[in-house]
Amino acid sequence: MTELETLATIKCKQQVVRAVRFNVDGVYCLTCGADKKINLWNPNRQILLKTYGGHANEVLDAAGSCDSSHIISGSADKSVILWDVTTGQPIRRYRGHASSVTCIKFNEESSMAVSGSIDNTVAFWDVISRRQEPVQVLKDAKDTITSIQVTDHEVLTTSVDCHVRLYDIRMGKMVSDYIGHIVTFGSLTRDGQCYILSCADSTIKLFDKDSGEILNTFVGHESKDYLLENAVNATDSHIVSGSATGEIFYYDLISSICVKKYLHSKNRPVVSITHHPTDNSFISACEDEIKLWGIKEMEE
Amino acid sequence: MSGSDSDDENVIRYGTPLEPYEEDELPTKRKFQEQADQFAVDANGRRRFHGAFTGGFSAGFGNTVGSMEGWTPSTFKSSRSEKAQVSNRRPEDFMDEEDRSEFGIAPRLLQTHNEFSGQKRPRQRTYYDGPIPGEPVLQQLVRAVHETAAVKMLRAMGWREGQGTGERLSKSQKKMAKKQHKVYGCYMPEELKQDRPESEEDSSSSSEYDFDTLFAPDDYEPYILNRKDDRFGLGYSALSRHSVLGNLTGEYGSEAGSSKSHLNMRDKGRKVSIRGQAFGVGAFEADDEDIYGTEDMSHYDFAIGGPSPVNEKKQNKDTSKNVLPGFVKAVKPVPSVPAHPPPALPRDYVPSAAGARRSRFEPTTHKERDQGLGRHELTAEARGTLLGETPIKPFPDPPMETQTPPQKEDLTKILCRNINFTTTAEKKELDFISIADTGKEVQKVFRPFAGNMEKQARYEKYLEDRGSTKEGDNSTDKLSQWERERELVEFEQAAKLYRPLSGIMGDRFTHASEPDDALNPLTAVAKSSSNHGLATKEQMDAAQRGVYGVMTRLQTEWRPESLVSKRFNLPQVGGVRLEQQKEDKPKVSYSIFSYLESSVHDKDSFAREQSKFSGSKSMSINTSKVDQTKTVDRNLNTENKTSDLNVDQSKRVDHTQTVAGFTKRMTVAEMFLKESEENKKQGVEVTETINKFDKMDLYKSIFLSDSEDEPLEAKQQTSDKTDFIDVPKNIERNNSPPRGIFANINFDELNSWKRKDDKPVTNPSNAIDIKKSETKDSSLEEEMYGPKIPENIKKRLLSEGSSSNVKESIEVGSSSSEDSWVDVNELKSKKTKKKKSKKHKSKHKKKSKSKKKDR
Repeated sequence: MTELETLATIKCKQQVVRAVRFNVDGVYCLTCGADKKINLWNPNRQILLKTYGGHANEVLDAAGSCDSSHIISGSADKSVILWDVTTGQPIRRYRGHASSVTCIKFNEESSMAVSGSIDNTVAFWDVISRRQEPVQVLKDAKDTITSIQVTDHEVLTTSVDCHVRLYDIRMGKMVSDYIGHIVTFGSLTRDGQCYILSCADSTIKLFDKDSGEILNTFVGHESKDYLLENAVNATDSHIVSGSATGEIFYYDLISSICVKKYLHSKNRPVVSITHHPTDNSFISACEDEIKLWGIKEMEE
Repeated sequence: MSGSDSDDENVIRYGTPLEPYEEDELPTKRKFQEQADQFAVDANGRRRFHGAFTGGFSAGFGNTVGSMEGWTPSTFKSSRSEKAQVSNRRPEDFMDEEDRSEFGIAPRLLQTHNEFSGQKRPRQRTYYDGPIPGEPVLQQLVRAVHETAAVKMLRAMGWREGQGTGERLSKSQKKMAKKQHKVYGCYMPEELKQDRPESEEDSSSSSEYDFDTLFAPDDYEPYILNRKDDRFGLGYSALSRHSVLGNLTGEYGSEAGSSKSHLNMRDKGRKVSIRGQAFGVGAFEADDEDIYGTEDMSHYDFAIGGPSPVNEKKQNKDTSKNVLPGFVKAVKPVPSVPAHPPPALPRDYVPSAAGARRSRFEPTTHKERDQGLGRHELTAEARGTLLGETPIKPFPDPPMETQTPPQKEDLTKILCRNINFTTTAEKKELDFISIADTGKEVQKVFRPFAGNMEKQARYEKYLEDRGSTKEGDNSTDKLSQWERERELVEFEQAAKLYRPLSGIMGDRFTHASEPDDALNPLTAVAKSSSNHGLATKEQMDAAQRGVYGVMTRLQTEWRPESLVSKRFNLPQVGGVRLEQQKEDKPKVSYSIFSYLESSVHDKDSFAREQSKFSGSKSMSINTSKVDQTKTVDRNLNTENKTSDLNVDQSKRVDHTQTVAGFTKRMTVAEMFLKESEENKKQGVEVTETINKFDKMDLYKSIFLSDSEDEPLEAKQQTSDKTDFIDVPKNIERNNSPPRGIFANINFDELNSWKRKDDKPVTNPSNAIDIKKSETKDSSLEEEMYGPKIPENIKKRLLSEGSSSNVKESIEVGSSSSEDSWVDVNELKSKKTKKKKSKKHKSKHKKKSKSKKKDR
């Protein structure tokens, strides 16, 4: 595999970056700060494009819509806000959750937002209509929802109650897998066949979606008490994970070997990671700083 | 009428004419119209005064601040586009115009700046702690001379100190002015002036300078202030005979002597009379007659022409004997100046020069004053004795029984006055009220009759054997019957009132397993180890071994909302049925009854039942019923997994119950729990498939509550009848289901039994049987709604009466109808049991009975 280098380092000045997310085409990225604001960056040129302020507490997660015209964000102020990207104004504010909203995603068409919260619920928000109540609330989890992934017909939720739940909207089925450890983050591989779960026991577990069997376990990083995130690269060949040690672990998906370690900043936890949807680059967030890792172009 | 014009010209009219009456019109009764209230208004025509109860003056009304209603609080508004301005509010913003005017509460005047007022006070200086204590010498020597601007200006204009201001005057003019000078206070009598030798000097000098020399006018004589010798406020003179309007009411003429106004004086034909009003009389009143004037005889004590001048002169001459020329002997002695003793110095005051203390770290010689004037040196007992309290005996550690009765009385009286809840004996025992336990702990926690130890003891006794039927303790024997009854009611009430959370409410709460650090979000929270009952043991094992897959996976039905499917561009699962399901969903009602019932018909108990019948017809029922009982069905899968755990739990509960025994009165929730427990046991026994388990029964077992058992019973009765159809029957008999006390007697059974014997009912044992079954019925009925039957009685009833009866009935049953026989015992035991047990075969009954006996 090719070596990745730090292409850019951005000091976000947001106290702590809770989450960093690429937009749909990977040109821009969003950083959710503990300063209650969301920043929109062009990471390649290191330009701050816009700041979205309006949350009353730390922003914990955000997602851009498929046409990059809207941003949905969840915050510790229990609200979900739909933003207009260009004007920076909040279009809608949903207050259905009883506690902090920890994770949020758009569906494929960005017609619906799915949010998970500390109140153990997952809520579906209709962003098309003016409806203020959630369309549906999933109350299966018995503890905090840590992450959500949405595909064209599935919703994957991970929870602190050691379960992963896959809601199949097409089939009308819910598959819950008991993992035995707190699942801090769950992501789906690009082919949609496996899910990658970051567990609180400092492992990443690769599960087969259909059978629920474990395929691989990735060990090496350290999770401590952080809700570490993981990401899978564009070709489904490698898994990227942050670590409490300040390193970024690059695992081979098949052999489960740590191929490469990148140091973001020593002994500072790298919690949030987002991978470029197509290129071989990713962004890691560590405290106030985000770093873009990728292959340097030859021209430079 | 022709001359009216001329009349108008000639006649002068005053006032407004009345409106002429119309001929036909009756004079309308007009309301008496009050003259419009007169209001004092300010310059802007707004009302100045309001009633004292509405704020006095203009406070808050008709003022200029804010709106018509007065001052309105401004709201803080800040938006993204318009940020809130930082506004500095001044007190003026909340004041009216009038307030700032001359007479307002905050008058705005042009004033000389402090700098130029010339009334600078030497500022209190703080001296540095230098080597030389006290005020620096240099500062004492050199003082800044301050002159006001006016003095400077006057100087520049040629004014000298000691001179008056104004145009320069010639000698004669000055003299004139001096003569006409108003003098306040002490005035030199005319006679003395004339006597003065300087008058010649004046005249001589006047000739010298008279022509061209001009003199500065005399300086203004300062007003000599009188010593204040009363205790009224400054400037206030107490009510005297003089009226508030300054004049004596009976003032006579303008004769100099007659006027008694102390501010009236005459000077060379020019009367100087200072008079005026003290307080205003009113906003509307003009100078009115002196309503406050008082009549006094002194007002009439005068003579025309005033006192004789001869006398006066005489007096003057007398007084001026051994007095320096120019002075008059005082008529009144000089009032003695009241001597104010200097303030007493504190006890341990050590005088020291100002700034003697060089540094604050220097050790001080005098120790710090104790704070509370020595009060804190006293002990509580000493204070008590000072206050005359009878000392309270210290509580001994051994229990109070060792004390003598009168002391006990005292103690308890003191205790119950202050703290009712814990006595010293129990202090270390409990720092919280245990939830799980009921009655027994009550007495330890709370003593409502602490004032009366005997009564308290009786109360405790009452609590102990509450529920059990025995009465009449030796202690209560002392009391009369009436007293006892009354006390019993009292106890009941007390027990009801002072019970800790128990029973129904108790199991809804639990002790906090972790310290409640809600205020500190940074405290570490222990990692959640419990699985919230989601994962079974097997799952946990599998997860530990890493064997994920079938074991750890759980598939359940989940129905996405139609809108969710729509937004995900997916076909709707279930289609139209969803809507129906939605409507069927009962509205959630949070009533205590639903909670109570849920313990009987809750999901897992149903699930357990269901699992027992699985594989048989019930499954097919399930699938067909899926629409209606979807919610239950969904839960079923998950609950099946957890059922084992629940069984364990409930077993434990059962165990504790048996330990506790039946002496304790059971709470409603416990009873239900027990009932469901027995249900479950019953369910364990029933393992075979039941053919007659139809849909209706399943439905009822789910949805019908216990309270609806009357129709069921009736139905049972009828079904019994159908079962007994082969048995010959008395056709003329009333076919309607038995009511009242006969409600629970199976007449068919009795009849059949009778026929088998082919004998009239002369057997006394039979009669007894019936009676027993009746009594048993009623007792069981009681079990449902009344107090729990004590264990021993229940056993006795079971062993003696019903068993023999049942045996017989079973025999009968086996002969008459094989498979659908209803056992009397079964019928009467538990209602929920009935639903299923009536289909049970007799051999199962036997089994269950034997088990019951084992218990």
